[in-house]
Amino acid sequence: MQVSIQWLKDYIDFDETPEQLADLLTMAGVPVENVVRADEGLDKVVTGKLVEVVPHPDSDHLQVCTVDVGEKEPLTIVTGAPNVKQGQVVPVALVGAHLPNGQKISKGKLRGVASMGMLCSADELKMELANLPEEQKTGIYILPDDTPVGQPAAKALGLDDCVLEFELTANRGDCFSVFGIVREIAVLTGKTPHWPEIGAKEDDEARADDMVIIAIDAPDLCSRFSARVLKNVKIGPSPEWMQKRLEGAGIRAINNVVDVTNFVMVELGQPMHAYDYDEVKGHSLTARRAAEGENVHTLDDSSRLAKGGELVIADAEKPAGLAGVMGGLETEITEKTTTVVLEAASFNGPSIRRTSRALGLHSEASGRFERGVDVTGTVRALDRAAQLLAEMGACTVTKGFVDVYPVQKEAATVSFTAAEVNGRLGTELSGAKMKEILESLGFVVEEKGQEAYRATVPSWRGDVSCMEDISEEVARIYGFDNISSTTPRGAVMEARQSARQAFSDKIRRVLASLGMDEARSFAFTHPSLFDKLNVPEDSELRCAIPIMNPLTDEYPLVRTTLLTNLMENAVRNFSRKNEDVRLFEIAPVFLPKALPVTEQPDEVLKLAGILTGRRAPVGWGQDGAMIDFYDAKGVVEQLFASLAISRYTVEPGEHFALHPGKTVVFKKGKDVLAVVGEVHPAVQEAFGVTKKLYVFEMDVATLLASAAKNFTSQQLPKYPGVSRDLALIVSSETNAADVERVIKKNAGPYFKDVTLFDLYTGAQVGEGKKSLAFALRFQSGEKTLTDEEVDAAVKKIVEAAGKEFGAELRM
Amino acid sequence: MEEKIARLKQAAAEKIRQHADTLSALNDVRVEFLGKKGEFTTLLRGLKELAQEERPRIGQIVNEARGQIEALLEKKKEELRVRDMEEKLANEKLDVTLPGRHQWQGHLHPLTLTLDRIKAIFMDMGFTVEEGPEIERDYFNFEALNLPKDHPARDMQDSFYITEEILMRTQTSPVQARTMQAHEPNTPIRMIAPGRVYRRDDYDATHSPMFTQVEGLVIDKGVRFSDLKGTLELFLHRIFNDNIGVRFRPSFFPFTEPSAEVDISCVMCHGKGCRVCKGTGWLEILGAGMVHPHVLEMSGYDPKQVSGFAFGLGVERIAMLSYGIDDLRLFYDNDLRFLRQFE
Repeated sequence: MQVSIQWLKDYIDFDETPEQLADLLTMAGVPVENVVRADEGLDKVVTGKLVEVVPHPDSDHLQVCTVDVGEKEPLTIVTGAPNVKQGQVVPVALVGAHLPNGQKISKGKLRGVASMGMLCSADELKMELANLPEEQKTGIYILPDDTPVGQPAAKALGLDDCVLEFELTANRGDCFSVFGIVREIAVLTGKTPHWPEIGAKEDDEARADDMVIIAIDAPDLCSRFSARVLKNVKIGPSPEWMQKRLEGAGIRAINNVVDVTNFVMVELGQPMHAYDYDEVKGHSLTARRAAEGENVHTLDDSSRLAKGGELVIADAEKPAGLAGVMGGLETEITEKTTTVVLEAASFNGPSIRRTSRALGLHSEASGRFERGVDVTGTVRALDRAAQLLAEMGACTVTKGFVDVYPVQKEAATVSFTAAEVNGRLGTELSGAKMKEILESLGFVVEEKGQEAYRATVPSWRGDVSCMEDISEEVARIYGFDNISSTTPRGAVMEARQSARQAFSDKIRRVLASLGMDEARSFAFTHPSLFDKLNVPEDSELRCAIPIMNPLTDEYPLVRTTLLTNLMENAVRNFSRKNEDVRLFEIAPVFLPKALPVTEQPDEVLKLAGILTGRRAPVGWGQDGAMIDFYDAKGVVEQLFASLAISRYTVEPGEHFALHPGKTVVFKKGKDVLAVVGEVHPAVQEAFGVTKKLYVFEMDVATLLASAAKNFTSQQLPKYPGVSRDLALIVSSETNAADVERVIKKNAGPYFKDVTLFDLYTGAQVGEGKKSLAFALRFQSGEKTLTDEEVDAAVKKIVEAAGKEFGAELRM
Repeated sequence: MEEKIARLKQAAAEKIRQHADTLSALNDVRVEFLGKKGEFTTLLRGLKELAQEERPRIGQIVNEARGQIEALLEKKKEELRVRDMEEKLANEKLDVTLPGRHQWQGHLHPLTLTLDRIKAIFMDMGFTVEEGPEIERDYFNFEALNLPKDHPARDMQDSFYITEEILMRTQTSPVQARTMQAHEPNTPIRMIAPGRVYRRDDYDATHSPMFTQVEGLVIDKGVRFSDLKGTLELFLHRIFNDNIGVRFRPSFFPFTEPSAEVDISCVMCHGKGCRVCKGTGWLEILGAGMVHPHVLEMSGYDPKQVSGFAFGLGVERIAMLSYGIDDLRLFYDNDLRFLRQFE
């Protein structure tokens, strides 16, 4: 919705500038998005008379003009335009002007002659070229000879109006009209509107109800259908004042009949339609549901097949238009039209919305119906349109009108007390003040007892139906700024977040402390990413939920894994020369219970990470070593330690996206805590990456369930511990974790802990063998251990390892 | 005898001062005078040759002299030790301007940092932090919030649909209805619900098909619009600063009545008008309002007994204003040059 200040001023006088008015309306809930001034950039453009025009001494196409701009001294201005002549009055941009096309005017010299400004063309002033006569479209714009000199050019050019562009909320259908905005201005400024007198002079002998049959076959979608008939119609352009107002409202002038229907729509908020009476078959118009497959030939000359159920206005044979959305081509007003049926009706908003959305057709009319049109206003709109056309001498008006209005709408009433409203707002307004505000808005307020009222809601305010709505009307007019600020009373409440949230927060902090950066990615994915990630054809990860209406073909699915996002993030970083990538993300993946989806999917909170690059930031004292599998595994182990997850097992694992020999699974019982590994070379290649990447993936709920809930600190030992280093030579096929398990099992009652501190392969241990060096610690809570006790334990370990793995002690 | 002692003392002092410029030279001096075969030892041995009555007096003089030499030796030793330490330190000088050795330092995402701040402020005020599904039923996302099908306000939130009845939630508001329905009717609630939301918006500097919201809801007996104002002013002052201007404009949301858009004075130009605030001096920062009675009723609360307010804010917007970020896409691009700026 947009409207010019001039149109508003037709009905109400106010002193506020357009910006002040915009602010007043905005702060009362009628938001003005933009104030568009037609004279934008014309501050230093004035009217000037060409006192003298002589050819430039040094050029065959430039002319030197002496221009009277109302100052003491005339200005010398050089122009290249051929259409200037002595005696003309033209728009002159003075030095310092900043024209609407962006051009800045400064002193200049053109081939030796100083020029103190610029004569302007219509285009340079951003005038609407389409509305200009041919000769004014190019060259300097020529004003009438009697235009006063030295005045702002904007006024002389008719560019002194200003347009308010509203961004109205969906509840205020009433403000989609000049009348509605004027009503608000009246309340906010205290000024009284001077409404036009509306009434049609019926000067034709024919009777409307003899000429046309109106019917409603779908009373749920059309609550009222009113019509008038105009005869002796002379199609032509509408008067300039009307065209100007329509232009301000952003509506193109077409012809007098169509312009009047549009004018009335914007003025009163009631959409209208005009039919060529002679083209309406059977002279009958019926509001009914379209049958499935029925063809509607619309104004834009397209044939639209009805899905069935859309509201159409049909003549005796076929639909003559999509009600409230677009008229039909056959009954369109043309130059040949001599008799017109004017329609003003009330259509069901949701139905209009469905039709207009389905067809992608949004019109001024459909927008108004969607938000709700005052059902009581149809006849007034017909009268107004007939009046305007008759006043233009464009028609005669037949007697009476046809009005099908099966169920009279009763005015809504709302009861409220001042205490209720004050209680909702936190104000202390008197009932009398509330009554005053509501009455200024057109409510009729009856007192029903001590500070108790019954308000009759004006017909145009379909959005008001309860005390809460009344409180909003009071608040917005009283002013939100005038309501004080308090904090909620009531009991102190416990602030908390769920264990899962607190746990996720902790994971984030720990990973950041381990040098990992947090990523956040879109929850969308594409089937081709599953291929790249080497996801097996039968994997449930491929059963990703399709979006019915994706934004682009790029992301038609909802993600089932975070790994694709992390791979993409790594690739994107490589392309920007970020070589050392250490990223993690915590986010849900979406696993449907079945496809196609019939219920909400499982949302499983996952944690995944990706690592590649150097082990430490580049620096003079760093060796520049690249991370490997064990760095990634170490991050996971340290994370688990920080989360109090212990007593897990690790074993070689399998994962479609990972290197078969470099994948480890962390388990606690049967639960998989984490999978860590090197990205499979094929996956690496599919993503176009040449460097080795390591990833981990885990399920946050499983981690949470595995984390120790309570923590008690251990007493420090009273007796010294004993350390022993033990190097065992085993087959290179033997897993270190298995050796460690055997150590723990056989280390006796004083065993404290074990750390693998060295791995050696090479000549000293022989082919196919490796040496694992462990640091063992023994300690007792009751005594100082003797060498014999410790030696016995170590001996037992060596024996057990020998039996289990053929391990030998390395001397 | 006494003369000899004095001479010896003199000679020792002289040697300590003049020749003992290393610890070993100093030790040589000690041995020469105080050692087993040293001059003083010899002197002491010679005491027995003195007359009985002379012995104590001369002995005392010898011991005194010996003590004085020892003191001199000790003093010199300390001097040499300090000198040696200084020499050693002078040779151990590092180029301390070389950079230190670093480990990788991770960074939380700026949206996480912002969310953490938002959560902390509201938890200080006694709010719980609630969650809800991101793939949501139309009922919770719209209908339970007084947004029936074909309501024109649905246009404000173009949705990604999964089925006719299931969609990617367009707001965190459904957590309002879910939380109310999980509560005993009419019991007080103070909650926020942070989370990802999805709208069918083009991806540009200010729009994204996925973004982050925090929903808030307070329900109790006698909750007023003035409480909404006070609570949100408090929040905005804490998340930005105490000098920021806050204004409430009447607006419309189907789930609140009255409804307000909340603006803050522009953080870039402090209200003078600039490119960021499009010259208005104000920035739209959140939407709020008193919970609509239908919304309470639909979730089993009685609007005659309790009232409440609700609000929703965009986390990206707050992060952008807090950190001076001018392109929303940076949040989901995960460029490390961006992420590693946020400590």
